[in-house]
Amino acid sequence: MGKYFVRRLVEAIPVIFGVSVLVFMLLHLIPGDPATAMLGERATEENIQGLRRQLGLDKPLYEQYIVWIGRLARGDLGNTVRGNIPVSNEIRNRFPATIELSLAALTLATLFGLPIGVISAVKRNSLIDTASMFAALFGVSIPIFVLGLLLIFLVGVQLGWLPFVGRLSSGVQIGRVTGLYTIDALLDGNWSAFKNAVEHLVLPAVTLATIPLAVIARITRSAMLEVLNQDYIRTAYAKGLRSRTVIVRHGFRNAMLPIVTIIGLQLGTLLSGAVLTETIFSWPGVGKWLFDSIVARDYTIVQTMTLIIAMIYVSVNFAVDVLYAVIDPRIRY
Amino acid sequence: MRKLSVLLILVLVVAALPAFPHSAAKAQAGNTFTYGEYGNPVKLDLADVTDGISALVGLQGCETLTNFDGSTTNPIPNLAKSWTTSDDGLTWKFELVDNAKFTDGTPFNAEAVKYNFDRWQFTTNPAHFAEDVFEYYGTMWGGFDDASIIKSVDVTGDYEVTVTLTAPYGPMLNTLAMPFFCISSPAAIEKNGAQYGTPEVGFVGTGPYKFVEWVSDDHVTLTRNPDYWGEVPGNVDTVVFRIIPDAAARYAALQAGEIDAFEGPNVEDIKAIQGSDSLYIQMRGANNVMYLAFSYRIKEFRDVKVRQAIAMAINRDEIVKAFYPPGAEVATTMLPPSLWGFNKDVPAFKYDPEGAKALLAEAGYPNGFSEVTVLKVGDNNQVTDQVDKTMPLTLYYQPVQRPYNPDGQGIGEAMISYLADIGLQAQLGSVGDWSAYLDERVAGNLTGLYQLGWTGDNGDPDNFLGYFYAKNPVPQEGYYENAQVGQLLLQARTLTDQAQRAAIYNQVEQIQHDEVARIYIAHTGVALAFANRVSGYVVSPTATEYFKTVSVK
Repeated sequence: MGKYFVRRLVEAIPVIFGVSVLVFMLLHLIPGDPATAMLGERATEENIQGLRRQLGLDKPLYEQYIVWIGRLARGDLGNTVRGNIPVSNEIRNRFPATIELSLAALTLATLFGLPIGVISAVKRNSLIDTASMFAALFGVSIPIFVLGLLLIFLVGVQLGWLPFVGRLSSGVQIGRVTGLYTIDALLDGNWSAFKNAVEHLVLPAVTLATIPLAVIARITRSAMLEVLNQDYIRTAYAKGLRSRTVIVRHGFRNAMLPIVTIIGLQLGTLLSGAVLTETIFSWPGVGKWLFDSIVARDYTIVQTMTLIIAMIYVSVNFAVDVLYAVIDPRIRY
Repeated sequence: MRKLSVLLILVLVVAALPAFPHSAAKAQAGNTFTYGEYGNPVKLDLADVTDGISALVGLQGCETLTNFDGSTTNPIPNLAKSWTTSDDGLTWKFELVDNAKFTDGTPFNAEAVKYNFDRWQFTTNPAHFAEDVFEYYGTMWGGFDDASIIKSVDVTGDYEVTVTLTAPYGPMLNTLAMPFFCISSPAAIEKNGAQYGTPEVGFVGTGPYKFVEWVSDDHVTLTRNPDYWGEVPGNVDTVVFRIIPDAAARYAALQAGEIDAFEGPNVEDIKAIQGSDSLYIQMRGANNVMYLAFSYRIKEFRDVKVRQAIAMAINRDEIVKAFYPPGAEVATTMLPPSLWGFNKDVPAFKYDPEGAKALLAEAGYPNGFSEVTVLKVGDNNQVTDQVDKTMPLTLYYQPVQRPYNPDGQGIGEAMISYLADIGLQAQLGSVGDWSAYLDERVAGNLTGLYQLGWTGDNGDPDNFLGYFYAKNPVPQEGYYENAQVGQLLLQARTLTDQAQRAAIYNQVEQIQHDEVARIYIAHTGVALAFANRVSGYVVSPTATEYFKTVSVK
């Protein structure tokens, strides 16, 4: 296993390097740059050139790349092009928000998606099955923006049940440890702050969970269906085992491989930030920040964040592979 | 199986628990004013930014030498309580208030003013950090170091600064009122270096509010400065800027009481807000213009009859009614009517498709056209007679919403249909996103008709007309060329007598109308929505709004 881990690490390096070069090239190829974006309607040939010189954008591309990658290798994430703010600070402020929302959404999606998928498979072609798969289709089809705004106006404004702006109400303070407000509030022993943080998490997490939930439900159903047709399942029933034991211990456990893969992929996607959800719910995560940075052509932010996202995917994939070996003793690396 | 269903139900119940009547969904009780902003500030060292969000936030605590008076763009004393000018307009003596302090306890005085101005002007100044981009300084004062119109800023008394210019500068007092030239604490800049103004540090000024915290993309909190030297007519103790990027979400937040005010409701929501019992709208006076520009590289557009025909073909009344918020008006010239220098005698182009068709026929296009001839550009940005290429007639639309252009694509489509009515078959042109569009515009590559606009910075006509046309021809203005207009505008910039300057701007507006330099479409205010508990908010056409006048119930 140790050798496998080292091999995977080594394999990851050219992937990350390749991503860094590709993103750098693409960013510099598309028209517009930070200088133009900063100047807006005031842009003239002269002030653009002046600003480019000041920002070091007049240097040859390979030189700019080397400066950036060299700094990164020393652990220096650099400063944003606009405002010259340390990127590490900005990430530290925003990533926990994305992590918290992603984990909440994935938890909801898994908590509901797995049982729905299992029940649908066990009660195949029944009303429950049809209803569940229809709901899954709905979840995947409805535009996030529409769902989010609907929830805001219905639940937030009309009913007044839940808040929908940001992570905490004004004036609520939580001592920062992890940056995940729910956890930090618990660590603080601040029950009302915990409640406030959870309330703010509900609507965006539900909105964000709809697609992963639908996907997990469908994959679970498919995987379970395949497993439930196997001979050993029939044998288990024949041996007189209870239905629940057969389905969960023998059926579900053996269906887990594709399900774990999908959950891992969903986590990777969620952690790279959810632009639409963050926009509607004013959730200060990395998704909207990255989108805004692309529009503003803030090269440092986009290049660095893209690398980080690539590393997240690589890590999540690795974790999933390790989990395979845990789930299925036949798999050995 | 039953147990699984029970588990499912249990999970659902637990998940629903937080939903019951929840805690602080209201904007804070007490004297807190919560303003919904549409984006994150870039930085709170205002000299280093160009965006309106940073400016509005920083302005509450970082003060300028002059202020804008209420809802006008007339400059009035602030940190500079009085001033005198020499006869030749080259020397300005400012008397400063003597009882102001920065919130870090250090004194506000002439040294502090000089420190700030020198820091901005001189690239060798130790506080002019390598990463600093004092873009507005460069734009408004002519450049850095010796290129600046400011020759020197001298301390001629504890509370007196003398500013010596290299040429008279008409917009002086208006420019000093721009938030980007607010006076920060020199001690705070020395202490924090290039990190001054970042979320961790914030700003240190003399204003009625001081910086408490800034959580990126979430909120900025300011609290009342108990040692403020001036008057605070309002009763707000705490100001919170909540960052809510989506306009519909901001409206929902106002309705739910999460915020007390916000800028930029969707046009569709304005009527609902105006009709509501608990909310109201205030409009910032129009201080912008939307226009359709000609690329003068196009041979067909070099004939004034063609330009005039296009101006007469577009129904601007309908466009303003269909796309713009209430109170927007059709533009007759570049200057909005509220600005001094606006020439009210310049008539609007009448919507007259038949007349337009006749003009096109006179110009030699009785059947209109769908293709255009693009000419080459020679030395000094002068358009030559040599043909570069032919291409379809294209109308480029703005790919992003701007205060003066609520729907570039929609307006573009409307314009195309008006052009089709007079035989001009145009296609809609798209050029990537905002940054890409600007890039192409600066390079002079928007070879067709293109949408753009401008929001005024300081209430001075030079900021509109002078900025665009004083130097011509240039690629970013479609190679528009009129030497007389250029000279007149340069002249107006150096005069200090407002009446004389107004006369020149009037003349330029008439010339531009007669030659159909550009088709000015609309001026529009910007809507701000408020909860009834808010009073005393004074809207400003330049968005320089001082929250010290605000009271909350």
